Amino acid sequence: MEKMIHFTIDGVAVEAQKGETILTVARKNGIYIPTMCYISKTSPCASCRMCVVEASGMDGFVLSCNTPPVEGVEITTSSEALNHERTNIMRLYDVNHPLECGVCDKSGECDLQNKTLEFNVARQNFSAKDQLRPLKKWGLIDYEPSLCIMCEKCVHVCNEVIGDDAIEVQFGGYKSTIIPKGSDVLDCTFCGECIAVCPVGALTSSNFKYSANAWELTRIPATCAHCSAGCPLEYETRHGSINGDKKIYRVKNNFEFSSLCGAGRFGFDFENSAKKDDKAFTNAIEALKNAKAIRFSSMITNEEAHILELLKEKLNIKLFNEDARKFAAFMGSYSSISGKKHYSGSLEGIKKSDAVIVIGSRIATDNPGVRYAITTASKHNGAKVVYAHPLEDVLMQNVVTQMMKYEVGTEEGVMVLLADTLLKNAELTQDERAFFDDLDLGYLHAETNLGDEEFSHMMKSFARVKKATLVLGEDLISHKRSSNIAKLSALIEKYTNFSLVVVPRDVNTLGVSLINSLERDEETLNTVGYNAKGDFVISSIGGGDLDIPSLNQQEGTFVNIDRRVLPTNVALPFHGYTLNDIAKAFGINESETVNYTKELKKDAGFRAVSFDDLENYLGTLGEDNRGYILEDVACKSDGELEELDDMPEFNGTVIYHANPVLQFNAYTNKTTQLPKDDYLRGSAQFAIAAKISDGDLVRVSFGQTTIKRVFKQDADLKGTIALNPVYDLDLDSSRYRFEKSKIERVINE
Amino acid sequence: MHNEHIDEHFSNRNIAEMHSDYYLVGIEDYPKTGWDKFKRVVQRSLKGELFVGLWVVLREMIRFDIHTIKYPEEKMPIGPRYRAVHEMKRLWESDAERCIGCGLCEKICISNCIRIDTRLDENSRKEVTEYSINLGRCIFCGYCAEVCPELAITHGSEYENASDQREHFLIFQDMLTPLDTMKAGAQREFEGFGAITPHEEERVKKTPLAY
Repeated sequence: MEKMIHFTIDGVAVEAQKGETILTVARKNGIYIPTMCYISKTSPCASCRMCVVEASGMDGFVLSCNTPPVEGVEITTSSEALNHERTNIMRLYDVNHPLECGVCDKSGECDLQNKTLEFNVARQNFSAKDQLRPLKKWGLIDYEPSLCIMCEKCVHVCNEVIGDDAIEVQFGGYKSTIIPKGSDVLDCTFCGECIAVCPVGALTSSNFKYSANAWELTRIPATCAHCSAGCPLEYETRHGSINGDKKIYRVKNNFEFSSLCGAGRFGFDFENSAKKDDKAFTNAIEALKNAKAIRFSSMITNEEAHILELLKEKLNIKLFNEDARKFAAFMGSYSSISGKKHYSGSLEGIKKSDAVIVIGSRIATDNPGVRYAITTASKHNGAKVVYAHPLEDVLMQNVVTQMMKYEVGTEEGVMVLLADTLLKNAELTQDERAFFDDLDLGYLHAETNLGDEEFSHMMKSFARVKKATLVLGEDLISHKRSSNIAKLSALIEKYTNFSLVVVPRDVNTLGVSLINSLERDEETLNTVGYNAKGDFVISSIGGGDLDIPSLNQQEGTFVNIDRRVLPTNVALPFHGYTLNDIAKAFGINESETVNYTKELKKDAGFRAVSFDDLENYLGTLGEDNRGYILEDVACKSDGELEELDDMPEFNGTVIYHANPVLQFNAYTNKTTQLPKDDYLRGSAQFAIAAKISDGDLVRVSFGQTTIKRVFKQDADLKGTIALNPVYDLDLDSSRYRFEKSKIERVINE
Repeated sequence: MHNEHIDEHFSNRNIAEMHSDYYLVGIEDYPKTGWDKFKRVVQRSLKGELFVGLWVVLREMIRFDIHTIKYPEEKMPIGPRYRAVHEMKRLWESDAERCIGCGLCEKICISNCIRIDTRLDENSRKEVTEYSINLGRCIFCGYCAEVCPELAITHGSEYENASDQREHFLIFQDMLTPLDTMKAGAQREFEGFGAITPHEEERVKKTPLAY
């Protein structure tokens, strides 16, 4: 335990840990200090100077947001002089601030409005010569410089948490504005976090702008349904137009502590608006009676997964879900070494780490939540970030300290080399030590193309590391040798200070993998698809044989990457049938789907908590009070490391299935605001190898699939691997993402 | 033609004043017993009260002092605070719509009969694209007019709500002051709480059309 610093705020005795500031301690103890620019998840902007306090033994005021307390100091947070100072600051903020609260989007939830009233600034005492500051349109984001109060929250969030580093302050006294960094237009991942943190109406969503007011919208706390980060968000709904149905107007998040990517923020209109269809329902029952199997996706709630499991038993059929099955197999191998069911790491853990290794994932687009956590670790703890992947990622270049570029397909070799390096001084069992002693390191270094010096460089940079996280991506789970990779990762977790995070592919891959007993997918006849391919398709996207509610029209729970069971709620009504209605037709009687929440599998770590008892909020200090974390379950640890396989070779034009930013799946593809970038992206080198050029329409063949894409040459890419988006394809999502491909130019079509 | 006379009636309502036109009506006590009731019936039947009334009518007809308002040719004047069908006002200086689309009227409406739709227009201003009041639900409470920060929505004096279609009163454009009325400087201002200074419209300068 570190030594605590004891001091008083307004006469209240408080204590601080090292690294805490006066403001954080005050907030922890419920003492109010007004701020305009402070935001908990970034380092203090210190631009507003509202948080000034008086400290004993000091002349003048100190900024409480960036001043750590010293032993025995007496802090005063309010006095005549402080109030005068703060009121004057508010007067300055109000200079020339347009009096258009009546139409401003922020009105009703505006910090400036609130504080102006709080400090009773009834008139604009000062004025300055105003200047022409036109509205800037930055795509999904609009910037209104005349409303901007230059608090710099947006710049801090963009740089320190998101990692885009796309905007900056153009300094110039009263003329200061926010400008896109290094270009005329905003070039970023459009997470919209700058909109969220903006205390006034300067940064707004161009789609939402002027369409509704803050006080008219109903907030529905939910969980983002796009990726496994499971970020907390609030859908804001209202009637649409004059007589329109209820619709979602925008998504907001608790930006003080959590972040949201653009897909979560702008991709909210994926609801299924189909009407009730009795005939389709009868057909679905009939189809299920004749079915041999149900194939389903992981874009479902735990409760749906539970009902599917009940249906499987009732109808004696098989369940197919390759994505979750591979994840379960991976975690099974992991458990056979670690002796426990769940990995130990979490997003919060990554944020606190001072070293992170990411392997086998294009993490910035696969799971933005992990990316933001790594960015936070990098900017706040100076974390060393090792990024091992065959492709560089320009989105990660701000935070990655060491790139390990390995050969495609050699993930097993990379893991062995990594384990060998990290476990050099660990007290392994004899068998385990023997495994590492028997390795042919020369062969592995040659095949993976990762030299000895790269690993020793890594170890050198990790010299002072206290807390580290190993992040494993989808390429390892879908790999042919995933079982051995999982075992190696379990060894690293067991013997080193690394905690482990395995990134599940879809929103509820982890939950499904725990709840369902899945079988290897075979192309059986008579398969009913549940949000997946099949002879009869039950779909929440629409266009299937029977419509079911989509994830913003359902209540239920997901299990996210933190192993947290998260509740989500109904934002929009659905008028048709649900899976529970189908189950009822088969005599599985439960009035509501969420009645199954307390029934979820106990031996996987679920608790017997009913849905209505699950909380869904972040506390005032950022405590995550959403749902609950799965209990860890002890498993048999009888696994052994396997002999290494020969490393495969991938030559020629290889494509890597990777989605562009803001796209994940068919649901994000359905939304109206998110950009639909469906180019095959490759480097100049790739273009030469494939004999194509920028803008060509090309036919891409891989496995049994042939698709057409327009090729786009991308200066940010290197090497002979091209990126192929899959969000708009109906592919088996669990396949190994690197594939040999044939690429031809389409002529005369 | 008789409006001046009626105006006088309206303006002098102080019954306590000596020279008031108002006076208390003497009302006899009600009969209590059956015999009293019988007496009253006999009295009334024989007294010829009927002819008293007929005589008054005949007298006034001959005098041509007729107080009847010949509705619909003649109408009673309406007090400025009377709350009839809503009107949408324009700005005196530019003839532009006053409504800024803040949505406060929609929010405050207790019978939930106002709906508006807004958007960002080409000039980056908030534009009201739809404005609808369901007069079938409206209880004419006046909250919308009271909350309006721009004096844009007011209650007019148009109380004749009879129509074969309710839709006749729903459309924003119908409530909005017609441009020719505006050009003629004939927009009537609401004189209630928070109103602009009387006759301000005569002093206000028109905004030049081009800057």
